[in-house]
Amino acid sequence: MAETESLDPITFEVVRHALTEATEEMAVALRRSAYSTNIKTRADFSCAFFDRDLNVVAQAFCQAVHLGSLVHLVPIAVRAYGAENLAPGDAILCNDPYLGGVHLNDISLISPVYCEGELFGYVANMAHHVDVGGGAPASVGAFREVYQEGIIIPPVKLVAGGEIVEDVFRLILGQIRSKRETAGDFRAQMAANATGARRLAELMQQTGIETVNHYIKELMAYAERRTRAEIAKLPQGEFSAEGYVDNDGYTDEPVRLVAKVRIDDDGVLFDLNGSDPQRRAPVNSTFAQTFSACAYNLKCLMDPDIPPNQGFYQMVRIAAPEGTVVNCKPPAPVVGGWETHARLNEVIFKALAPVLPECVPAGGKAMQCHAGFGGIDPRTGEYYCFLETLAGGYGARFQSDGPDAVQTHGQNTENAPIEETERYYPVRILRYELVDDSEGPGKYRGGLGLRRDYVFLDHDVTFTVLADRDKAGPWGLFGGEPGRQAYYIHDHDGEAEVLSSKTTIDVRPGEMIRYETCGGGGHGPPWQRDPKRVLNDVRQGKVSLERARTAYGVAIDAEQWTVDTDETAYLRATMQHDGPHDEASKTGAAQ
Amino acid sequence: MSEARFRLGVDIGGTFTDATLVDESTGHLWNAKVSSTPGDPSQGFLTVTQHILDRAALAPGTLRYVVHATTVATNAIIEGRVAPTALITTEGFRDILEIARQIRPSLYDTQFEKPTPLVPRDRCFGVRERLDAAGAVVAPLDESAIPRIANVIQAAEIESVAVCFLHSYLNAQHEQRAGEILQAHAPDVAISLSSDVAPEIREYFRASTTVINAALRPIVSRYLEKIEARLRAQGIVSELLVMQSSGGLMTFADARSRPVFMVESGPAAGVITAAHLAKALGKRNVISFDMGGTTAKVGLVQDGAPRITKDYEVGSVAQPGSGGFRAGGYPIRTPVIDLVEIGAGGGSIAWVDPGGVLRVGPQSAGADPGPACYGKGGSEPTVTDANLVLGRLNPGHLLGGDLKLDGALAHAAIEERIAKPLGLDVVRAAHSIVEIANVAMINALRLVSVQRGHDPRDFALTAFGGAGPLHANRLAHEMNIPVTIIPTSPGTASALGLLVTDITYDYATTLIERVDRLEPGVVADVFADLRLQGTAALAAAGVAAVDMAYVQQVDLRYVGQSYELTLPYPHGETTGSDFSGLLQEFHDEHNRVYGHSVPGEPVETVNLRLTALGTIVKPPLLAKSGAARGLQEAQYGARPVYFGEADAFVDSPIYDRNLLTAGTEVPGPAIVEEYDSTTVIHPGYYAAVDQYGTLLLSKQPSHP
Repeated sequence: MAETESLDPITFEVVRHALTEATEEMAVALRRSAYSTNIKTRADFSCAFFDRDLNVVAQAFCQAVHLGSLVHLVPIAVRAYGAENLAPGDAILCNDPYLGGVHLNDISLISPVYCEGELFGYVANMAHHVDVGGGAPASVGAFREVYQEGIIIPPVKLVAGGEIVEDVFRLILGQIRSKRETAGDFRAQMAANATGARRLAELMQQTGIETVNHYIKELMAYAERRTRAEIAKLPQGEFSAEGYVDNDGYTDEPVRLVAKVRIDDDGVLFDLNGSDPQRRAPVNSTFAQTFSACAYNLKCLMDPDIPPNQGFYQMVRIAAPEGTVVNCKPPAPVVGGWETHARLNEVIFKALAPVLPECVPAGGKAMQCHAGFGGIDPRTGEYYCFLETLAGGYGARFQSDGPDAVQTHGQNTENAPIEETERYYPVRILRYELVDDSEGPGKYRGGLGLRRDYVFLDHDVTFTVLADRDKAGPWGLFGGEPGRQAYYIHDHDGEAEVLSSKTTIDVRPGEMIRYETCGGGGHGPPWQRDPKRVLNDVRQGKVSLERARTAYGVAIDAEQWTVDTDETAYLRATMQHDGPHDEASKTGAAQ
Repeated sequence: MSEARFRLGVDIGGTFTDATLVDESTGHLWNAKVSSTPGDPSQGFLTVTQHILDRAALAPGTLRYVVHATTVATNAIIEGRVAPTALITTEGFRDILEIARQIRPSLYDTQFEKPTPLVPRDRCFGVRERLDAAGAVVAPLDESAIPRIANVIQAAEIESVAVCFLHSYLNAQHEQRAGEILQAHAPDVAISLSSDVAPEIREYFRASTTVINAALRPIVSRYLEKIEARLRAQGIVSELLVMQSSGGLMTFADARSRPVFMVESGPAAGVITAAHLAKALGKRNVISFDMGGTTAKVGLVQDGAPRITKDYEVGSVAQPGSGGFRAGGYPIRTPVIDLVEIGAGGGSIAWVDPGGVLRVGPQSAGADPGPACYGKGGSEPTVTDANLVLGRLNPGHLLGGDLKLDGALAHAAIEERIAKPLGLDVVRAAHSIVEIANVAMINALRLVSVQRGHDPRDFALTAFGGAGPLHANRLAHEMNIPVTIIPTSPGTASALGLLVTDITYDYATTLIERVDRLEPGVVADVFADLRLQGTAALAAAGVAAVDMAYVQQVDLRYVGQSYELTLPYPHGETTGSDFSGLLQEFHDEHNRVYGHSVPGEPVETVNLRLTALGTIVKPPLLAKSGAARGLQEAQYGARPVYFGEADAFVDSPIYDRNLLTAGTEVPGPAIVEEYDSTTVIHPGYYAAVDQYGTLLLSKQPSHP
């Protein structure tokens, strides 16, 4: 790096804007030309640019998990394939979780970018494909080895000199149920990289490759500088917590996660020693996924303006012993590593809660909550696959309620519109609404979970629930109560069978699957909640009259919509003395 | 009424109420400006109208049209001051607004909030009824539920109701029936049906559009009624029209029932102005660039028509790094002129961030205290301060000298806040501030052009707003845009757009069908039906048959995609089953926009769109009168101006724009000053003055 060369503020901005813009254009191209609802509507993808030394420099629109994963996967995949084996117009495909990936559905396409014959860097995108083969449609399920989860794609050239390598393409599509959609999605991924490469070529034409390379280094140094300054503002010391994934999908034994967050002059270390050994069950997180979780937590603690490039990511230090659920080895299955990842986010927040109370939320949905299904579409005779993830309640905060029905932490995918879903997939959605009384009570309450009912009218379906939170709801903080747990229910033959949170079942025509996701945990003692807020929740139907009384100690006159202040004072005095009246909400409470 | 040939445009903004009057036969223009009266905007409307009529010495009866642009709708939503509204949905889906898209507006912010629903949950009602995805009735409407809801609505003094049932975009029966029963039981309530307001697939977006319409109806009705009453009392008998978000006009009566179409009424006018000026100058493709005190707005005009988007959110800003996707506001699916708005204006504050990097905006010094050089106590350096230090602004000339700028204060602010911390000299710091603001604007220009597959070399740049002409030349240079158009009076040019556009009604019908399976005649039937609706609406607005025109478009995509490309569907192609020309156009357009196409893949129609136009005579541009003068006569001074390309202050002549006459060429470097704006002409460029007084900036032939 040319230390002596001065930093020209104008060029700095030119390069920074152009690189971000290139990745944004990639995102637009990908989303608008994709075929599957999961990518085009739910936006389950991310885009990034790497310099020639494989440092991530710019990223756009995104799932936090993807971004952290790309940081690992791209360097490993390029080195494994050999940068020298790549030429202009080439692209390599990779989804190997043990080469920096997350789960098999997330397939990355990486393209080198050249400037007048000289390697400049790489554009890459990662998109969640609705199916990659394996033991169940949508490639989610409780399997025992990664080999059962679908096709594993080591770095292979999918595009050579701008043309699709048909042999490879056919071989991959041969393993996949929803071939037409997947082919369209691959083309969208190619379009995204072509767009990014084109845009970067223009930048280099305008600014010159040497200058751009210099400022790329400056950009990373800048992010590092700002990250260090932000870390220096954090309280120093070692803070720890633990938490559990409810079960592993094969046994009912909870999966223990331990996080010690050490903040000192050297930065932040996430020490995950003490977390459980890996399981022969889907809850294992790859190192890349664990890295993504920790990077997400750290990013939440800093000025959001800091660009997420290598200068930031290199500050994320992790001690995760190999062979554990937070750094699994082959052939452990990984498709449910999301549950571990999301819970780890919350364990880290919980560890930091005592010292950063104004910053971290109480426990929230913090699970992936997949609903995946497929079968033969009676309208077309073709195999279809559908996948979505459902929102839940967000944890309450220091001075505000947790929002209702929202994605949490590492992912931020949209819902699948019902009209689009019913039009393109043979399913009917009968209900999509908030779950009343599912909030964790508190001075500030958690968000409500949501309910979605799927009915299959005319064909046999294989349905997979891959989720969590069916044993305990998300924890509260500082005297807040936990949110209601989640329920996964199969309505058949006149009975409502409660399903495990990680299971694959057959669903016959006329049967229904019902999700009721968890509410978020509360913040502060419920008896300190402003009675007017409780009154409003009751008026809105989010909290029942009975629950207002038992969980919050607020007596409401539902005729006049007023708070009975005398009775409320009495109820609250008793509550302070005895603890909450609501027995159910005591179980699983924090600490 | 042969004398009723005057047209009045009134634009009510947060600070000022602007009026523009045009004589449609000569093109003669008058302008007036008064302070806005937020407590009762109709007061300002009346005052400015009186002012301008006095100035032009006209009687109220001489007005043929009054066109109004207003932010009343946007502000009501952003500030949460909407009317008490209810929502009726299919049973099981009443939380559609609460759940929204289930996403967080920002990825790493643990303290985020979802936008508060415009209808609280206790006013959302589910009713038993169901259609399937083909529009067939699966469960009949439970008609008995509606009177009960009507009772609750009336008891709660709710003024307006939105109805949005699943799949109603395919079959409006249930919504219409529910609306009838509701109206019978609650005659005073305004009812908005989603199948009427926004008949398109994806229930949340349709519901959101319909709810916004419903929540605005009472507000906008009262607002427009008051204005109408005052104008009528003043003797104005003309047609009263409102600017829509799409840039077209609609009658006050239509605006009262479909206010969601005028949510972005204000910003649309500038793009229309740009389109109009360019057309008059023989240019079909223009990028409009409107830079004021706090923001810069960039739009694109292709083939004379502004680019329209249907992917819009009220009250949200696209964040850098979000891939253009938003989630902090309220989506609408009505046509909106596609504008990129960024926080870079004359008042944008320059600052050094914690990483030691110079940034500009999005914070603005506003009008008070304003830039440091205003001397009103502002100590933060702004883009205006930087332009002053660089010699680009005349300290004694802003607003004709009404606003004096203090160069020493500008210098001190930049030195203290920027130059010293960064170790730069003050001039270099000031130049960096201007250039960094330019980088953000270039980025916006790229967004509307390159990112959407347009080559800027095929476009002209039309720059206006008080600060636009200061920056335009530099932007055009960076973007390789060959010609920059600076209209006269750039500070008020935007309002002209109100007076040069047509009455429009937009219709769409969803028809999802593979093009190779389209029944011959189906498309023709749909367009014929839409045209009937359009003709009826135009006739009701008083448009004569001879002035009616129609634009047909079709949204197409590859089967399986969710985003469509909108292509023109010329009248006359509606019969027969040969769609090969259309298909080829789609493949070409897909290739242009996304860089690839798949000719073998099946293509489907999604929506058929029709815009019914009531064309209005466009006033001609007014040729500038007066004898030709030489360039020297227009020069009233010279001063050193800093240009980055020279890396030095260059002694530059200063011209009075009012004294420049047609045929004159002004070589750069030069500064052209007028009452409300300053144009910078860079070295290597020159400005040609045309017969209308417009400045046309382009490269000097010898310049590389």
